[in-house]
Amino acid sequence: MTKKSKKLFLSILICIFFTLPLTPKNLVANELGGFFEGAGAFKFGNEKAVKNNYNFLETRFQLKANYFPEFLEDNEGELFFKGEVLGDGYDERVYAYIRESNISMVIYDLIDLKMGRQILTWGTGDLLFINDQFPKDYISFFIGRGTEYLKVPSDALKISYWSKYFAIDLVGTLFEPNKSLNGERLSFYNPFTGEIEGSSMSLNYERPSSNPKNIESSLRLSRTFGSVEGALYFFSGFYKDPVGVLNPISMSLFYPRMNSYGFSLRGPFLGGIANFEAGFLESRDDINGENPLITNSEVRYLIGIEEDLGGDTKLGLQFYVEQMLSYGKYENGVPLGAEKRDEFRSLLTLRLSKFFLAQTLHAGFILFYGLNEDDLYFRPRVSYNFTDNFKLSLGANIFDGANDHTNFGQLQGNNNLFLGARYSF
Amino acid sequence: MKKIFKLIFVVFIFTFFIFTTKSAEAAGLTAGEIVDKANLAYYYGGSDGRAEMKMTITDSRGRERIREMVMLRKDLTDGGEQKFYVFFKNPPDVNGMVFMVLKRPGGTDDRWLYIPAVDLVKRVASKDKRSSFAGSHFTYEDVSGRDTSADTHELLGLEKLGVRDVYLIKNTPKNPDLVEFSFFKVWIDKENFLPLKGEYFDKKGNLQKTVTVDEVEVIDGIASVLKGKVAEVGRGSTVVEFKNIRYNLGFKDKIFTERSLRKPPRKWLK
Repeated sequence: MTKKSKKLFLSILICIFFTLPLTPKNLVANELGGFFEGAGAFKFGNEKAVKNNYNFLETRFQLKANYFPEFLEDNEGELFFKGEVLGDGYDERVYAYIRESNISMVIYDLIDLKMGRQILTWGTGDLLFINDQFPKDYISFFIGRGTEYLKVPSDALKISYWSKYFAIDLVGTLFEPNKSLNGERLSFYNPFTGEIEGSSMSLNYERPSSNPKNIESSLRLSRTFGSVEGALYFFSGFYKDPVGVLNPISMSLFYPRMNSYGFSLRGPFLGGIANFEAGFLESRDDINGENPLITNSEVRYLIGIEEDLGGDTKLGLQFYVEQMLSYGKYENGVPLGAEKRDEFRSLLTLRLSKFFLAQTLHAGFILFYGLNEDDLYFRPRVSYNFTDNFKLSLGANIFDGANDHTNFGQLQGNNNLFLGARYSF
Repeated sequence: MKKIFKLIFVVFIFTFFIFTTKSAEAAGLTAGEIVDKANLAYYYGGSDGRAEMKMTITDSRGRERIREMVMLRKDLTDGGEQKFYVFFKNPPDVNGMVFMVLKRPGGTDDRWLYIPAVDLVKRVASKDKRSSFAGSHFTYEDVSGRDTSADTHELLGLEKLGVRDVYLIKNTPKNPDLVEFSFFKVWIDKENFLPLKGEYFDKKGNLQKTVTVDEVEVIDGIASVLKGKVAEVGRGSTVVEFKNIRYNLGFKDKIFTERSLRKPPRKWLK
């Protein structure tokens, strides 16, 4: 811990200590929980570009609190807070941040409101997202932090209308990008230099301004048909990854505007649960695919099935395709010698998981295999609950690929072994 | 004095008459009817209900684990489809998780799981109804009820279990490949039809698992289990306790939808 981080940590503790007795009695949380965790990931690949020989090494304290205010009892009002203090050995800093902080209530029995910082998820894929345009943290996932850190919180207002026959969810969010590969903790392929790099300094990212007209909107219409769940999705906002080039000389990237339209179906099939989801992502700053500096529109498809094999064993299979539109124009725009992607890019995933010892030991893996790009990502994980409160987990992230420029190919060498111990209360 | 004797005599005759009619009625029940009545008594009390459930799981080495949850239930038809909403309170790492089931006796159940940390509503494949519920010695079927038409039933006789008069019934699965037992015996209370004891025998015919009901109380006119236990030979046991049981609360259908996975109906969970 550096001097600065120590100071920050102390000041947070002091703040908490002094505000506790000042809190009015009726403001004390109705429910409290959280955890202490120590975790880290150690590299065993041949990657040399990123600074440390570990991807992360941290202690984390999470506190969550629910409060049900009396004056909102008729509206089933609920205040929820989830905050974390993180002692980060990689950045040599202490961070304190709010992961969730929101108020939710019911209006006229038909409408649910949720306002504030929240985690948002919808869609049917298993770690594959088509119509879920809410921000994600792929770096956390690839280095082996808990799965909950794949989702980045959004500052949002969510309004849900529930009738007997269908439901409408409308979400307004402030732009928050994905935490995607940028050289921080993991090396990545820099398309400007054509090299694998391990520093986040080389590229510049231009975020949309926090102008009210840049508020993103997401809409979902859903209903059930017997056992089958159907949904339509609409999104208007920005790509969450910097898929537009602002200036190739200064290596500046930006987040182009995007609309998406899609649907999903999920229901019982062949004794398991099958899902089908598709989406059309319209690149609004480059509708016809004329501009080689901005990503083209795409259609994405996903089909999956999960089977219960018995004996607490589950098997999941998914087939995912990204189809680039206006491919001819894209092809013409690729500079000589630069890497070119295929029109159809497909991915297979396989997940197998099983509980042992009265569900205290969980073992499983997920495998992503890129059919076109011949790259893969394998993530085995084992966790064991020593007691109801104390859990140990161990896993690995293994990447391989024939080429440096592909999704997982660029990560080869970043193989890591992660482990964590968590005490929950 | 004479009058009192007369009164006692009348009461005695009257009670005798009631009991004989009752048992005469009961004597006419087939094994299948008794099992159906037991199914109704155990799983379908009232038109809906809620209870706080605590499971203490002890493994073969004596280590204890606690599961605490609130269970809401609504019956669509008596003996038929039911909806369950199970909100987990403990252990802390599953706090706030919700498990929801639409049970279809004789068909495939629909199951959902909500994981609050990632706001994820997951559909769960549910072919294996004999797998453990929340790591306990209870199976999913023990918790939500086994389809009575999946077994053939044979009335082995009338017995006494403690102070209670019971029917002893042997149940043999019609499709033995789907289950880990070869048959099970169940002792059903003659008066309120609660199954008070069950014994499961493995494929070799050895006793494998014993389920007992240890405490019963009449709540809102419905005989309700307060405490039960399942013990597996050589593999530990689970004790289940129910608290704050209430019936006929008028649950709306919306409680058993995606809506309350994402926003739990706190009013009923307190």
